[in-house]
Amino acid sequence: ASGKRGRELRKALVSVWLQCPTITRIYTIGESFEGRELLVLEMSDNPGTHEPGEPEFKYIANMHGNEAVGRELLIYLAQYLCNQYQQGNETIIDLIHNTRIHLMPSMNPDGFEKAASQPGEIKDWFVGRSNAQGVDLNRNFPDLDRIIYINEREGGANNHLLQNMKKAVDENTKLAPETKSVIHWIMDIPFVLSANLHGGDVVANYPYDETRTGSTHEYSASPDDVMFKSLARAYSMYNPVMSDPQRPPCRKNDDDSSFKDGITNGGAWYSVPGGMQDFNYLSSNCFEITLELSCDKFPNEDTLKNYWDQNRNSLVNYIEQVHRGVKGFVRDLQGNPISNATVSVEGIDHDMTTAKDGDYWRLLAPGNYKVAASAPGYLTVIKKVAVPYSPATRVDFELESLMERKEEEREELMDWWKMMSETLNF
Amino acid sequence: MASKHVGVFVLFQLLVLNVVSQTSAFPTPTASTDDKTVYNRQLTEERPLQEQIAEADSVKAALQSAESKRSAASKDAGSEQDDFTMLKSLADGQKSKETTEVPVKKEDQYVPDESDSTKSRRLAEDYDSTKNGMEYGKYQDDPESFRQVDGTPLTAEDIVQKIANKIYEEDDRGVFDRIVSKLLKLGLITDNQADTLEYQVAEALQDLITKNAKNNEIEGAESNDQETRGEQDDQGSDTDAWEPPRRRYNEDEDEEEEDEDEVEDEVDRDAEEEGDTPDNTWDKGTEEGNEVSPEDGLQDLQYFPNFYRLLKSLDSEQDTQERETLITIMKTLIDFVKMMVKYGTITPEEGVSYLENLDAMIAMQTKNKLGKSLVLPDFAGPNGKNLDEDDNTKAEAAKMQKEYENLKDSTKEDQPSTETNQPGKSETYLEAIRKNIEWLKKHNKDEGKDDYDLSKLKDFMDQQVDSYIEKGIIAKDEGDTIKRIYSSL
Repeated sequence: ASGKRGRELRKALVSVWLQCPTITRIYTIGESFEGRELLVLEMSDNPGTHEPGEPEFKYIANMHGNEAVGRELLIYLAQYLCNQYQQGNETIIDLIHNTRIHLMPSMNPDGFEKAASQPGEIKDWFVGRSNAQGVDLNRNFPDLDRIIYINEREGGANNHLLQNMKKAVDENTKLAPETKSVIHWIMDIPFVLSANLHGGDVVANYPYDETRTGSTHEYSASPDDVMFKSLARAYSMYNPVMSDPQRPPCRKNDDDSSFKDGITNGGAWYSVPGGMQDFNYLSSNCFEITLELSCDKFPNEDTLKNYWDQNRNSLVNYIEQVHRGVKGFVRDLQGNPISNATVSVEGIDHDMTTAKDGDYWRLLAPGNYKVAASAPGYLTVIKKVAVPYSPATRVDFELESLMERKEEEREELMDWWKMMSETLNF
Repeated sequence: MASKHVGVFVLFQLLVLNVVSQTSAFPTPTASTDDKTVYNRQLTEERPLQEQIAEADSVKAALQSAESKRSAASKDAGSEQDDFTMLKSLADGQKSKETTEVPVKKEDQYVPDESDSTKSRRLAEDYDSTKNGMEYGKYQDDPESFRQVDGTPLTAEDIVQKIANKIYEEDDRGVFDRIVSKLLKLGLITDNQADTLEYQVAEALQDLITKNAKNNEIEGAESNDQETRGEQDDQGSDTDAWEPPRRRYNEDEDEEEEDEDEVEDEVDRDAEEEGDTPDNTWDKGTEEGNEVSPEDGLQDLQYFPNFYRLLKSLDSEQDTQERETLITIMKTLIDFVKMMVKYGTITPEEGVSYLENLDAMIAMQTKNKLGKSLVLPDFAGPNGKNLDEDDNTKAEAAKMQKEYENLKDSTKEDQPSTETNQPGKSETYLEAIRKNIEWLKKHNKDEGKDDYDLSKLKDFMDQQVDSYIEKGIIAKDEGDTIKRIYSSL
């Protein structure tokens, strides 16, 4: 059930799948308000499976239905990766073998349909931006920024702030179905890195989006400010338009004073509460940035090729950023994975958790770090690591349980008891 | 030789008493004291007269009763149940008896030791008080310490007697284990000697029991349960009476024990030593009194719910023995942990958590071995899902919703456009499929594999197409188109 452009999207994805069936899979994370499937094309050497230790990556575009460039770029990207894979491109082959890449060209197909259906070439700035219910999806996510700011002041968790989430999300009537689907998706797959694609400007924007004091412009650094700047630059530097220091602002009166090297802190640009970017960081292990890819939100079709040229290298290079920092497994002394263990880095007030195979990925800029793995009932282990720019450094942890510590004493006790009982003939 | 001593004591006691009575006419207490002192020295250097007198009385009684009772009492010292029964009944008797008795130091309750004198000798020789003198300074006030209050070293008989008395008082064989392990740990005795000690203590204990059984109002032959109930009432009301005698001991022995704490805590037997009560929760559990029946002994085990349940499950006649053994084992484990805490091997918190873990382990083992489940069945963790299912959960939900809204769906279908798109779509799909097949050919050739299997690929793709149609990812007509293309290859 979709309009012409919806079927074209599907056609494009199915074609990629038909061409590369062994490394792709199409799935849906749910339906839009008007019943359109929220389609995802997954690319990996083992589609449909999380391979322990393999990082998960996603691109989401078109959450504002009238910001169309990202949607088209992801279709191009899918085709590109498939073609390059079959043509023997080593970089792409490695990327696909070592990453699980998820591409969602349109999070708001209803809005897109509305925007695309407008007659004429010039599209309105707002028509089709929100979903069919009139909800701006990038203001619709639970506002975890507020909570983290309170926790910063008064103490509290520094990660995974959405408690009891499945129930809370499903019962929250304020959440659009598209938002809910994405939240479930984020909770189900241990995403490590992500970007969401927008239009209307040209910059790579990073957390936090919401200002601490509530003012409209204020640099709002996250604990991973250093890493986020690195990630944002990793995108912008390969986009000649984005990284052009001489680039004039999209509109004459635009305030792009916060843009530097093609990147900007969200709060410094303008405060955005309830956005998807910060929600990722504060509810899960996933680092997400926002990519504004075109001054024109819904440009002509014939300009798409240019946009693709501008963004192709950035899009690929950004996926590769997922292979940075430290990664590994947290296990007990018998080699069993410990899921939901905490991996913390000294000096960065934001912890990761291990996925169900005990695997974790901790994006870090180059430097020397102390990484600690801990879990309830276990003794914490701290390791020192020197982290290069890339690739990711493998750091595994074996945690001794408190029970094991007591086990020695217990065995001693049992030996003693055995002796005594033999002596006393119990 | 203990008997020899006792005999000698008795003689001298009589002598002393005569002397005292004779000299009482002279108004010189000091003189008489000196006399006593002289006589004391002749007897043994460490014994104040009062004790001698008191001892003589009890020894006389013991001698008489022991003779008659020893033969009568033929219980196996190793039988837990019997011991508990006896001890329980005797404790009750003891309690009522001791309210009227002249306070007597525990270590002075000598019972004729029938063990081989040479064995005892060995113990005394091996024990070198000078070597360990400094170490035991801090145990000065400890009834378990290896010195008497006035600092003179204990003899072997003393040790045996002290242990026997302690076991008797606390109704707990664990006392022996504890003490012996300490002795072993300190290298004071060897394992063989531990065996010997056990034998001697068992004997001494037996004598104590039989001696007091004679004075016991409650028949030892009564059933456990009856005694339990009867004694619970008795003990409940006599709790206060029970406590003072021990306190008096303390005062007499010049010990500054925090026994007040432990008197109420039957479990915390270590506490005399430094008053370092490892875990107050155990105190609370037995505050009701010194119930010593097996039933009531479980009070301190109530903090081990799984163990408790296990015990409860062993309620048949033939299980009683096992039950008692388990209780003893558990109590001893508790004691051991407390000892470790006391000696700083582990912290109190670790001790508690250790025992809690033990309880959990018991639950597990019980479940495994007896097939009885003491705890709730495990529930699958939230991470047990197959990720593939996760990924498709949305698809499944979507599929179901799609079926439900099938009608609604069809009205949205833009019929005309579908038809015009169809040829374009077919071409696109054909193109894509062809690319795949070309790649497969080339890929397999490069890797030296056999030529790809077209029919296998076709089957696989058909399957996938159906699955996608089901999930609403592609429309039926699209799926048919794809299948048609494959079949035409």
